[in-house]
Amino acid sequence: MTSMIDRTVVDFVKVLRTAELAVSPAETLDAMRALNIVGYQDRQFLKNSLSIVLSKTPDEKEAFETCFESFFSFDKFSPAEEQQETEQQQGSPENDDEFDPTSEQEEGGGKSGGQGMGQGGGGAEEASDDEGLEPTSKLGKLILARDTSAVMLAMVEAGREVHVNEIVVFTQKGLYTRKIMDAMGLPELQDEIGTLQDEGGNERTTLAGKLTKARDRLRDKVRDYVEKQFFLHADESGKQLREELLRKVKLSNLEKRNFKDVQEIVFKMAKKLIAVHSKRRKQFRRGHLDIRKTLRHNMQYDGMFFDLHWKSKKIDRPKVMCICDVSGSVSNYSRFLLMFLYSLAEVLPKARSFAFSSDLGEVTRLFAQSDLEEAMAKTMRDYGNGSTDYGQMLLDFKKNCMDDVDNKTTIIILGDARNNYGDPQSGIVKEMYDKAKRVIWLNPEPKMSWTVGDAEMNKYAPCCHQTEVCNSLMHLERVVSNLLRSST
Amino acid sequence: MSIKNESKLANVEVIERNFEALNYICNPQIATAVFLAYHLEKPILIEGPPGVGKTELAKTTAEMLDLECVRLQCYEGLDESKAIYEWKYGKQLLYTQVLKETLSEILDGAQGLTQSVDKLHEFGDIFFSEQFLEPRPLLKALKHEEGCVLLIDEVDKSDHEFESLLLEMLSDFQLSIPEIGTVKANPNRKPLVFLTSNNTREISDALKRRCLHLYIPFPDADLESKIVHARVPEVPEKLRSQLVAFIQELRDMDLKKVPAISETIDWARTLILLHSETLDADLVRQTLNVILKFQEDIEHVEAELQGVTNRALKET
Repeated sequence: MTSMIDRTVVDFVKVLRTAELAVSPAETLDAMRALNIVGYQDRQFLKNSLSIVLSKTPDEKEAFETCFESFFSFDKFSPAEEQQETEQQQGSPENDDEFDPTSEQEEGGGKSGGQGMGQGGGGAEEASDDEGLEPTSKLGKLILARDTSAVMLAMVEAGREVHVNEIVVFTQKGLYTRKIMDAMGLPELQDEIGTLQDEGGNERTTLAGKLTKARDRLRDKVRDYVEKQFFLHADESGKQLREELLRKVKLSNLEKRNFKDVQEIVFKMAKKLIAVHSKRRKQFRRGHLDIRKTLRHNMQYDGMFFDLHWKSKKIDRPKVMCICDVSGSVSNYSRFLLMFLYSLAEVLPKARSFAFSSDLGEVTRLFAQSDLEEAMAKTMRDYGNGSTDYGQMLLDFKKNCMDDVDNKTTIIILGDARNNYGDPQSGIVKEMYDKAKRVIWLNPEPKMSWTVGDAEMNKYAPCCHQTEVCNSLMHLERVVSNLLRSST
Repeated sequence: MSIKNESKLANVEVIERNFEALNYICNPQIATAVFLAYHLEKPILIEGPPGVGKTELAKTTAEMLDLECVRLQCYEGLDESKAIYEWKYGKQLLYTQVLKETLSEILDGAQGLTQSVDKLHEFGDIFFSEQFLEPRPLLKALKHEEGCVLLIDEVDKSDHEFESLLLEMLSDFQLSIPEIGTVKANPNRKPLVFLTSNNTREISDALKRRCLHLYIPFPDADLESKIVHARVPEVPEKLRSQLVAFIQELRDMDLKKVPAISETIDWARTLILLHSETLDADLVRQTLNVILKFQEDIEHVEAELQGVTNRALKET
């Protein structure tokens, strides 16, 4: 029995993991220890305890709540419908009063993990009294016994045997339903029904009919169960698969319906980058002397003040200016870069964002003030979808922002460098190159088309420290991560 | 683990009742967390908005168990010398001076450098022994004779490095001091550890993994009313439900800082001082600065004051 409890915990943890709760093996062990203390009697107590041990943020607590409810709920298996049918069959109104309390208790028992055995047994006796003939197969006895929790247990057992928790895609539902039915002893039952019908006789046929009905009901339930398992186990892993795919797919190929997912990924990526890079700290080489620390560190040098320590520390983050081409041809990409920049605002407080088709406009303030959707929409409305003029953009930049560029600034330009055969003004890019720490050009087009047609990449590229193809979220993540790393 | 008054932690209901006796009203989650923390011997990481009684929980637990509450307030720049231990530099220096004077006596009879050094070695590392050690909160809690409650307050305010420093303490209840060795807690008297965090930054996974996690949200109206009753029993029932309803509504508004339980209690005290029997718009306007801490919030609420007050009055 202990091993069964442990297995339940492990299964539950697996479900939690698919719901993106990072539960470590150590925490699983904690959960088992907690279970030993808490026990299974009080459902609410159990839930509180597991929630305290396994979920570690408010978000996770919420996810935990849903997982717990669906994992430990057996209420789908309500005996009410079964009851109705039995009543129809028997057609005896006196039985109503006897049955109702039983069914209620059974429901309660099912929820708290199988206590309703005794009640169910009573119902079974009555049923067999009526018939005077009992089914011989194991499954037949079980399903006629109207003991919901026992059936439930058998079903869960069978599910475990056939590894229903490995279900991955929707189409496997039929397969697993079949497998579970088989594991529960369906062939035996089929044989019995067959024999009963062959042998004939009033009582036997009635029993066969009853068994058939019960079997169909059971099949429905198993299907429900499998469906639930599918939602528990496969839905989230399917999502992971999809996310993995979305990261690699070209941004221009993303469809509108994926935007929400992408936004989630972008947010996650930004969060990860923030976590990794906000840790880097550099000690100031001036300011207040940290006497205590200096004393302690210099004890090894016989108390000579040799290795000085300062009080202030500083997180060094790059100053970034990001210029986005939002003209028709690349708007799909810039949309995501803007989205990414928006999410990164926390880690890059000095980031300034600009958007242009021909005239350059700063959108930093807009980003700071409005939420993502609105900011994107406004940017696109104000600057988007015109015809591209890189020359004009660069002139504007020189006029308005060149003074703010210093040797700590990184300038990122996102665009296809297609200038409609206008003056490229590559001299200004050269000036940026001289003044800024780095100039990075991200081009969504593949390298081979960088010089084809009206693209001016060959003029701009020599004035950049780095030119990269950037057309998927993965590229984007890599570039930004490098950017943050190189800053320290 | 066995500490005195263990019976007060026997089960969740007992804990809840004991807390209530000390005027700390809690929900089952909180009591469950304390119960598990004791029986699993694990620290609790408490998160939640400011003013919902995170620190108070640790203090109340200490009071309930009649144990000392050792508190470590975290802040940026907190390091091992403030949290774990520090050498008594002054004492060390003083003793060196004393030793210098008696050096010739000690070295009396030694021939040559090798013998002198050998003689000196016999003294061992007395300067780095426990007599010269100044224990700070963590070490103090570990070495406490009869067990204690250790409160590591606002752990999110400390640096990442400090978090890593805590890990050894939290998982094994031991601390390593390079010069002395490992100090372990008495296995039967492990301190009960509470960490609180206001979520100003994400706590590292390593730390979270070692802790039970309790999130204390703002209480619902019922619970809050009970809390006010426990803390400020003088408030008449009618006024209490009115002010709780008012606060509950404020929490749904878009404010820079929503009032927490501590503010509700302060407000209740204020209203008692002013001998008010019931809420009205004027009274609320005059005392709004007790519950709201930003001018823009006050202005925002003042605009809708009449409506909110009326609703709070109507509900009761």
